Amino acid sequence: MGTKEKISPRQFAILVILCAIGTPILIIPATLTSIAKQDGWIAACLGIAISLVLVRLYIAVGNLQSEKSLFAVIEHVLGSWLGKAVNLAIVFFCLVTASEVLYFIGNFMTTQIMQTTPMQAINILFAIVVMMGMRLGIESLARSAELLFPVFVLLILVLAVFTTPQIHLERLQPVMETNMKSMAWATMYFIGTFSLTSFLLLTVFPSDMDSPQAASKGFYRGMLIAGLVLVVIIVLSITVLGTDMTARQTYPSYALAKKINVGHFLQRIEIVMAIMWFITIFYRMAFYVYGALLGMKQLFHLKDYRPLVWPVGMLLVALSMLVHPNVMHSEEYNRSVWVPFVSTYGLYLPILLLIVHAIRRKK
Amino acid sequence: MARKAAWLFIFLLMLSPILSGCWNRRELNDLAIVAAVGIDKAKDKYLVTVQVVDPGEVASRRGSAGQSPVSTYHAVGGTVFEAIRKMTTSTPRKLYFSHLRIFVIGEELARQGMGEVLDLLSRDQEGRTDFYITVAKDTTAQAVLNVLTPLEKIPASKLYASLEVSAKSWAPTVAVQLDELITNIVDPGIQATLTGVTIRGDLEAGNKKKNLESPDVPTRIQYKGIAIFRGDKLVGWMNEEESKGYSNITDQLHSTVVETACPNGGKMAVEVIRSKTSIKAKIRDGKPEAEVIMHTEANVADVECKIKLTKSSTLYELENAAGAAMQKHAEHAIVKAQRLKCDVFGFGDAIHRAAPGYWKHNKDNWDEQFAKMPIRFKVNVKIRRIGTIGESIMNDLKE
Repeated sequence: MGTKEKISPRQFAILVILCAIGTPILIIPATLTSIAKQDGWIAACLGIAISLVLVRLYIAVGNLQSEKSLFAVIEHVLGSWLGKAVNLAIVFFCLVTASEVLYFIGNFMTTQIMQTTPMQAINILFAIVVMMGMRLGIESLARSAELLFPVFVLLILVLAVFTTPQIHLERLQPVMETNMKSMAWATMYFIGTFSLTSFLLLTVFPSDMDSPQAASKGFYRGMLIAGLVLVVIIVLSITVLGTDMTARQTYPSYALAKKINVGHFLQRIEIVMAIMWFITIFYRMAFYVYGALLGMKQLFHLKDYRPLVWPVGMLLVALSMLVHPNVMHSEEYNRSVWVPFVSTYGLYLPILLLIVHAIRRKK
Repeated sequence: MARKAAWLFIFLLMLSPILSGCWNRRELNDLAIVAAVGIDKAKDKYLVTVQVVDPGEVASRRGSAGQSPVSTYHAVGGTVFEAIRKMTTSTPRKLYFSHLRIFVIGEELARQGMGEVLDLLSRDQEGRTDFYITVAKDTTAQAVLNVLTPLEKIPASKLYASLEVSAKSWAPTVAVQLDELITNIVDPGIQATLTGVTIRGDLEAGNKKKNLESPDVPTRIQYKGIAIFRGDKLVGWMNEEESKGYSNITDQLHSTVVETACPNGGKMAVEVIRSKTSIKAKIRDGKPEAEVIMHTEANVADVECKIKLTKSSTLYELENAAGAAMQKHAEHAIVKAQRLKCDVFGFGDAIHRAAPGYWKHNKDNWDEQFAKMPIRFKVNVKIRRIGTIGESIMNDLKE
């Protein structure tokens, strides 16, 4: 690879949006309304505010060594041995979580659409696309995001506009009924699935940016837009489906898309709507896989990660079949394990890096 | 180059088993499209009846072969799902539920509680929420689904369409879909209602194609009354007047007919063309109370008495009379609901929105609170137009 791959600020902002929306778009209304009832959207708003602070943190970590990627920075700051151990842990996190996303998409398809299709078939197909993206490299991925983004915007607009006639705004009342404890828990859960995973964007930010300064702005802007999209989806779910039905659904956004009915004519288009989350989930998974590949490259001092792409893909498909034995296991994992797991890497690690770096510089 | 092409070929070949399509794909000719489902209680089991469309009979341009356009199948099972799968022993194709139009619950099952049967409908991935749910009144769901109907070849479509039309232009019916029903069953601030469907005429004759041979068919299915539920159990019925009042209070009234007495004897009717109702609830001296505010626009539709219509003062009198009639219906509905201690109007939800603190402590005995809650009305009727003629011909009739 002679020339270095570069991502423009606009492409980076789009990547931030798509990655942050990722899987939450399908499930977050259910989790938030089951914890915070009709105030779920307020928890999401609080979550966005905190996420912007997180972005500040990530940018600070990125700027420690702006020409190096996340893994090189970790090795540089924490030293060779500890750095390698931490990198290994991140690779593990990325592999498990990427396979989880694969499980998620397979589970969605087999629950809602193709009931008796073996999950392997779906997972293999989805993994192949992600692996193709990986082989083409991060720049191609960023460009494809730029191409697919209008499709995503169109679909989300269709969903929002065509469900508005069925909105019952009074379902949001009474506002602020939830106690502080559930609100805090809901906010935490929102951050956990929405923004804490964005630390993986440090694998490309700011080292692969063609203008890091503008990209930082894109980071904030992307996070804000993604958050607002999720708030819109949550509010629509609550006002159209009702708090109780939203909390009861496994995939509330899909249920929401099922409600689209314009004059008994434009209806039953939920599967077209599903393209929306295929796009976002693709980019989220791509970044987990990219994290795993880049981490391995750093660990084993490889020149290029590409020889690892297909083996990792096969590993992911196999892992995705093992990661959760059933749906409830995945649900419990998301509720209890996920938030501490992701905050280890998305919250404590960046803080640790900054502190260690500051101490070492004083010496 | 040739090597690369060979690899590509092998790769594509390997993909073909995955890409060959959905494992459980079913083509149209493998499907039995279910248009209606009825569930009755059969001792401690469920009797499930499905109405399956015969596409050949419905779509044929050259006139049908004289077969019934739909067939019904039924089976008994310990669970609804078991009964449905059991039906494959009598149906030639696998039942397909995505195009379900109407769901009928037998009155007996409704009285004993219908919660169990609703779960399958929302859990199954073929199920949607866009069909209407009704209760068979004084009859079984099976009997309702066995009646053939004129004009609409598929009885399920007839039931769907006439519920939609009557809810829009006549009012004493409510078109309830699954998500609304489930929400109302579990929400402590509101109780569920469903429209009743009943058979008028001879039950036996209704099953035969002969039923369609005369213009005034001997057997009809028609909607009648609104069923009141406490939780998932049917506890009573509202009659036509009460039902009208109910749909008015719950803001489901779009258009209807209000009959009013003329000042000098005789009757006339105004047509409601627009109506908006809001419920304002509040706590006064620690007790809940509510005000129902109705804004209605109407036209004079039918004058069957002597009345001086061309004076605006007459119209004001009529406005008051129509408002009084509407309020009377609404009061009847409230009296019925309060007697049954079933808050079908959602006053509880209104209290919840207005006074969350009060609601938190009182939601468990809301039924009792509702039963003695004072409800006031503010009815505002505006009669805008009197139709295409001025004075009624009634005024100038020769003696």
